[in-house]
Amino acid sequence: MISYIGKRLLAIVPIILFAILITFVLIHVSPVDPAEAYLTAAHIHPTEELLAEKRHEFGLDQPLLVQYWHTVVKMAQLDFGLSFMTNEPVWEDVVSKMPATVQLAVSSILFGMLVSIPLGFLSAIYKNSVIDYFSRGLSYFGASIPQFWLGYLLMFFFAVKLDLLPVEGKGSWDNLVLPTLTLSLALIAIYTRLLRASVLEQLQESYVIYAKTRGIKQRIIMLKHVLKIAISPVITGLGMNFGKLLTGTIIVEQVFSWPGFGRYFVDAIFNRDIPVIQCYVFLAACLFIICNLIVDLIQLYMDPRISLKGRTDQ
Amino acid sequence: MIRTTKKTLLSIAAMIFLVSTVLMACAKQEASPSASNGTADNAAVAAEKAITLSWPRDIGTMNPHTYNPSQLFAQSMIYEPLVSYKAGGKLEPMLAESWTISEDGKEYTFKLRQNVKFSDGTSFNAAIVKKNFDSVMKNSNLHSWLGVINVLDKTEAIDEYTFKMTLKQAYYPAIQDLAVVRPVRFLGEAGFPDDGDTSKGIKKPVGTGPWLLAEYKKDEYAVFTRNPNYWGESPKIDKITVKIIPDPETRVLAFEKGELDLIYGEGVISMDAFQQLRESGKYTTQLSEPVATRSLLLNTTNDKLSDLRVRLALQSGFNKQAMVEGITLGLEEKADTILSKNFPYTDIDVQPVAYNTDQAAAYLDEAGWKLPAGKAVREKDGQALELELIFDKTDPIQKAMAETMQAEWSAIGVKLNITGLELTTQIERRKAGNYDLDFWSNYGAPYDPHSFINVVAEKGWGVAEANAGLPMKQELDQQIHEVLSSTDETKRQQLYSSILLTLQEQSAIVPISYIKKTVVFQNKVTDFAFPANRDENPFEGINISQ
Repeated sequence: MISYIGKRLLAIVPIILFAILITFVLIHVSPVDPAEAYLTAAHIHPTEELLAEKRHEFGLDQPLLVQYWHTVVKMAQLDFGLSFMTNEPVWEDVVSKMPATVQLAVSSILFGMLVSIPLGFLSAIYKNSVIDYFSRGLSYFGASIPQFWLGYLLMFFFAVKLDLLPVEGKGSWDNLVLPTLTLSLALIAIYTRLLRASVLEQLQESYVIYAKTRGIKQRIIMLKHVLKIAISPVITGLGMNFGKLLTGTIIVEQVFSWPGFGRYFVDAIFNRDIPVIQCYVFLAACLFIICNLIVDLIQLYMDPRISLKGRTDQ
Repeated sequence: MIRTTKKTLLSIAAMIFLVSTVLMACAKQEASPSASNGTADNAAVAAEKAITLSWPRDIGTMNPHTYNPSQLFAQSMIYEPLVSYKAGGKLEPMLAESWTISEDGKEYTFKLRQNVKFSDGTSFNAAIVKKNFDSVMKNSNLHSWLGVINVLDKTEAIDEYTFKMTLKQAYYPAIQDLAVVRPVRFLGEAGFPDDGDTSKGIKKPVGTGPWLLAEYKKDEYAVFTRNPNYWGESPKIDKITVKIIPDPETRVLAFEKGELDLIYGEGVISMDAFQQLRESGKYTTQLSEPVATRSLLLNTTNDKLSDLRVRLALQSGFNKQAMVEGITLGLEEKADTILSKNFPYTDIDVQPVAYNTDQAAAYLDEAGWKLPAGKAVREKDGQALELELIFDKTDPIQKAMAETMQAEWSAIGVKLNITGLELTTQIERRKAGNYDLDFWSNYGAPYDPHSFINVVAEKGWGVAEANAGLPMKQELDQQIHEVLSSTDETKRQQLYSSILLTLQEQSAIVPISYIKKTVVFQNKVTDFAFPANRDENPFEGINISQ
């Protein structure tokens, strides 16, 4: 197991190097000069002298290979330079903003699970019942509505009209409710349908029929056996979504003035804050790989039929 | 009931513990500074006069000598200038009680106000003024955009309350330049870093202004309270909370819910939202005087646009009034002059170019651009009258205006190609002169009109480059250099009139509309007035009815 994890962790290296290369190439083929972007973002008039000074400071006057090597070495030390916008070390900015994003991602995942597991399960058991129609309707709604629009709608009804919750900010637990609802609805839409399909599939399996013939109670079969297996695709999805939430709560953070990493990244894009963009790509790559690894390990733990080399026919 | 094994129970418990730990670690509970959340703790708090407003960006490091990320309005709450810019371009004493200018226009001697203290109680005097100037001049290349920095030779603290500034050459807008928000305002001794170089950061924001930064959470909020050591008339309200809300629609919803008392600024909410709030009748809305002119730069180095008749045809070939009303919902005002008349030296008589498509067609015919039978685009010597207008693709007003002009000019036989660019690329292309038409706007008070004429003469900003094809460009540059160094008020007015008239007649900078600031506030807010200085805060005199 340890060597498996070690191998998986080692595999991160080439992927990260590739991600850095892609960002590096994109920045160099972009028509915008990073030195000019820096001065524009800092509201300083870019005279030729200043541009030359900044190009030298950023190492842009060195050969491309040297620049790439320096970028890799610095990133390995988590040194992403100073943000063009805040003039603070990017990594420090990210570390200070990440907790807010993690909080939002975790609460959304938890709420999403809390709703979608029972809903998906019940809508499979009571197929074509009221609860099934309700879950289908909710999934359809959750999958189709744009998140920023849903955010505004929730804000309008629950904060402005009903005056139950604050509109924006991160002052108290109340502030967490609306962004969590906004983010989790899309998760609920996916997981409910995924779980429903998976449970229905399991119900056709011979082990269920066999268990029934052995006289095991329906409830026990469902909760102890079917759910445990049927939840597997949901966990896979969860891993992917956690990475996505950590790097992609951008719009929701913007709408709810949530001071997380996503909002920082939106500003970076608009202002061509290249050190932040590079850090984002690096982090996104790392997060997705780590989330995938964790999901694989959970799957392994939950389903012993999955071997370290892949599924076997045990 | 489900029969759970010990192992499963342990796993669940571990999971719950892990999740709770993460959540607890992440959620550092802090009391929100919001007026609505802060349920009156006691009677004193209830009686406190406080307003909450929003700003799109974090207020920044509040370093008076650097630019981004510090926000101008907030810097102006903490730091004060020697001279203050008031309505109509009037310069009034602020930290300097009076000043004298030598006859050759090179020496400026300021008598400083004597009873001024920084917010930490230390005294404001000539030594700290000099220390601030020294720190700024250490990085003068960062501030080259500000004329006075370029001509500053030396500064001296003559005595405790006399400060002298010597210029390399006469430069009349020096006093006006000292009214800007950065980098020429004053940080107290306790704010300076050990090496005295503020370009890398300050220890804390200590100023002489009416406000001090009492509480701050980056990217969330900033709370300003009255400076107890303020030398002037103390503000009428006790506390101003600035909430950072990046999204304009969220700002509007927070305002409607009552979480905000005021939304102020340029383009801080959409024009639709402003109209909707105005029409609701529930709030007070106001528009400022023009703060700048939205214009079109016509690149005169381009063969087609080097012909005055073509430029005049373009200016008279689109309905400015209808376009401004349609796109800005009347929140911007049609502009007939390149600079609005509320700046110094700009109240001159000019003949506006009227909307007249027949006249536009006649100009083009006269210039040799004829419309061949069966074709929609005019031609001359086998070449089509095709032009490119570049615009900032993230600016919805520029985009809508570009599309309108495309339609309007096609009716007079001009093919306009419109290209949306990122702002940095737009600026790069402007500076390189690599375009036919581009949007541009002047700087506003207290920078204009001298900053405007300066960029008409000096290369590096894109405007001088665009005007390079004007036949009288050399003469124009000569006049501009003359006016900037002139010590004679009457002569300055004459020169300004001549420069602005020439530019107006040449139609190389086509005024479209006057940009205005908007404000919307709850009815309890009273005595709101827009600052004369475009970058300053509007909290002077503001009050609330309890």
